Amino acid sequence: MKYLFLLLLAGSFLHSSDAKYEMGKKIYKATCISCHGVDGTSNTDMKLVVKPRALSKTILTEEQSYQIIKKGARYWGASADMMPSFDSIYAEEELRSIAYYMTKAFSPNAQKRIDDLYAQSDVIPEAKKSKMMKRGKKIYKRNCSWCHGLEAKGDGEASRNPELSIFPYDLTKTLLNEKQMFLYIKYGGIFWGTHKDDMPSWSKKYDDFTIKSIAKYIEDSFRKPDEAK
Amino acid sequence: MKNILLALLVTTGLFGANHVIDQKGKTFIPHSLSVAVGDTITFKNSDPFAHNAYTDDEANEFDIGMQSPGKDVKVTVKGAGTFNVECAIHPNMLLEVNAK
Repeated sequence: MKYLFLLLLAGSFLHSSDAKYEMGKKIYKATCISCHGVDGTSNTDMKLVVKPRALSKTILTEEQSYQIIKKGARYWGASADMMPSFDSIYAEEELRSIAYYMTKAFSPNAQKRIDDLYAQSDVIPEAKKSKMMKRGKKIYKRNCSWCHGLEAKGDGEASRNPELSIFPYDLTKTLLNEKQMFLYIKYGGIFWGTHKDDMPSWSKKYDDFTIKSIAKYIEDSFRKPDEAK
Repeated sequence: MKNILLALLVTTGLFGANHVIDQKGKTFIPHSLSVAVGDTITFKNSDPFAHNAYTDDEANEFDIGMQSPGKDVKVTVKGAGTFNVECAIHPNMLLEVNAK
């Protein structure tokens, strides 16, 4: 009897997961496919100012993807992303099903990829941790602030040049946590699915200690996604 | 005529040579340079986006700030030695200057 109950429970879970997958797939095909493509690589014929990210290379968790689908990229710090909010178009259950489908279909190993890359990075010795904020602040001001601005609002001097076509993020609103920011800075935007080299990889210039220091400085000094509007 | 020649010689000696470095395709061209102390380096920007050039070398410290496309900026080499010039915006840009 107990086994039968467990079997029914498992079956019910599988069924509801499959239903969620199918719901997400249906909405994806109706709405998302024109920009992100049939396989999530964003290789489509659409001519957009900012080519959509390849979902197959995403650094985002399923929850973070859901938040971006729901509120749109601009809400979370993008300055010119074409990813709109679908909050008024789809119900909560539908929004979550899209993120669920995208994660399962296009990036099922994303979390493992992130964890593996982080595990390969240098561990910061306890004795050096107290130096991270000072180092992070120095390098942020030296390099990152050109595009992201001194207060990390995405309004650096280079971003105001009318001849540029870069769209730096407002890092005060970003959903990326400290670990994700480290990996994004280290490997650069193209590695994580963008199609333009606006956010370069800094791994040739700086070691893991410095890049982790930058991420910590941003996390501790600027990032407040709970206050994003 | 003699005076003009003399003036030219004095002027050349006073101001040193000028070396042009282009920033194109997110690269310093050329990527290495031999200069004399007192020479100048003109940084051009042939890319359609902003660049920067700076060095933390103690004898030659400079930072040209944001350099818009098409804008030229000139700096003077003040001290001898080998030092690197980088772009603060594009991490893979590197220029090695050897000053004698």
